[in-house]
Amino acid sequence: MRSANIIKFSVLVLLCAIGCILSLFYGGSEPVHAANISSSDFIFWQIRFPKTITAIIAGSTLSVAGLILQVMFRNPLAGPYVLGISSGASLAVALSIFAGNAFHLFSDFFIGKSFIVFAAVAGSFLVTVLILAISKKINSNIVLLLIGLMFSQICGAMQMALEYFADPNNLKSFVIWGMGSLSNNTNDDLMIYVPVAILCTAALLLFVKPLNALLLGQNYAQNVGVDFNKNRFYLILISSLLTGLTTAFCGPIAFVGTAVPILSRMIFGSSKQHLHLVSCLLIGCILLLFSDALCNSLIKNVSLPINMITTFIGAPLVIYLMFKNKHW
Amino acid sequence: MAANEKITLINAALGYQKSGGDIAVLDHINLSFYEGDFVGIAGLNGTGKSTLLKSICGLIPLLSGAVHIDHQNINDLSLAALAKKVAIVLTERVGGFNLTAYDVVAAGQMPYTGSFNRLYGEHLAVIESAIEQCGIRNHQHKPVNELSDGLFQKTVIAKALAQQTPLLLLDEPSAFLDYASKHELFLLLKKLAQHEKKCILVSSHDLDLVLKYCNKILLVSEKGAELLPVAEAAQSDTFKTIGGGYI
Repeated sequence: MRSANIIKFSVLVLLCAIGCILSLFYGGSEPVHAANISSSDFIFWQIRFPKTITAIIAGSTLSVAGLILQVMFRNPLAGPYVLGISSGASLAVALSIFAGNAFHLFSDFFIGKSFIVFAAVAGSFLVTVLILAISKKINSNIVLLLIGLMFSQICGAMQMALEYFADPNNLKSFVIWGMGSLSNNTNDDLMIYVPVAILCTAALLLFVKPLNALLLGQNYAQNVGVDFNKNRFYLILISSLLTGLTTAFCGPIAFVGTAVPILSRMIFGSSKQHLHLVSCLLIGCILLLFSDALCNSLIKNVSLPINMITTFIGAPLVIYLMFKNKHW
Repeated sequence: MAANEKITLINAALGYQKSGGDIAVLDHINLSFYEGDFVGIAGLNGTGKSTLLKSICGLIPLLSGAVHIDHQNINDLSLAALAKKVAIVLTERVGGFNLTAYDVVAAGQMPYTGSFNRLYGEHLAVIESAIEQCGIRNHQHKPVNELSDGLFQKTVIAKALAQQTPLLLLDEPSAFLDYASKHELFLLLKKLAQHEKKCILVSSHDLDLVLKYCNKILLVSEKGAELLPVAEAAQSDTFKTIGGGYI
């Protein structure tokens, strides 16, 4: 690896560590130096610790999912949120909360959570496949984004209908969840979230070469010996797993998946996807950890929604890229 | 079947599978290409030159019949094995994602690298020489979407050379090249066919170049595909039709 890249990676790791400290010690819910030691211990281990871990996993999974989608669609603006994939997962979760309550699935914690995760993954897989089918008919990157937008509107409308007919209990649980939050998870949730996320991310190591080949488009990828259809299926599956998983545990989180791979390409100026896989993991962590710290420190004793901050960072970046029209 | 036969098309129907029924562009094609062959493919627009090249390397499935490479049906070959036998240069442009000309040429070595696509000394030497042969040394670190059409064409030709295949298929590789580069390209291809015994198929509208450098011409028209030595092809009516009476 070139020495410039080593320096860049070291800075990213350092920022990641600073982000963890900020999130753990300035992460809201009263200062840790409270008089009562046992209550401060509780806040640290039961509230801040799971939130910091959630930020790390959510940031890295969404960023990597975004990277896969951008390469697969050869569209530098793609991402789980802008293509409506997060919304598909959201709708599926809303449906599953209804069904789950109706069939009393949530009396058992693991069955209930697994059911929601499975629904979210299925929802994101379905939307990804639909978007992919449409993308074959159109060549314009911008039109694809508009179609993604329409998908999320449709999913949103269906979700609205569900909410309208929901009883107060259901309504509250997924209105809050739908805002996107890093603080919904307990340490028990992490027992499912973390291992599955690590497994899916690790599986991507098998796809370093296909990801590099896909940059050349379907025909050239096939001609250098990469099975386009097979690899595309697995990549869709993994990105849906990553998006669905994080949406199930944190709700839809905006723009991280789009912004982080763009930032990674700007920082490293490289086309090597194994490098971007690692840097997206790190930048995703940094972005969400710092966003979380910002949410909790901008206004005293108020915790702002995480999507507010990520949108403020992500949306201008997308607009900037559209104007610049440089294919990062 | 001759030992030096590289590509064989057996009663092949080439075209596209549509839901309303197959659309055959070329039908009942029986052809053989040998090592050392430098074949120019001549034909009017839309007669199936690109379809033929894409079908030979398996990018478009045959409607019926078979393509054999080195006496093996391409459907029985793995994609990885096929990638070491045949390289294609297409007319489409690719780019973005920080891809440089060097990255595109390096992709030619993918059939020979491990699952992390790491490049070692022997890979780098091949890539270097392909860049040298195509004369893009001074442009190798530029992003591909900032290259002119001509330089991009040289880049993908270099990628095909870096693939180190005995078979080379090129779809209108000279379309955007300047006058001197066109001749340099055809000279290079002729040399590769003669000295390295490669079998090269090149579709081109530059009929004068095809006449000057190729040893055979494949005439593609609505009547089908006809493979003739250059001297014979030049006298044929089909060739005169393709040339529109100007050659």
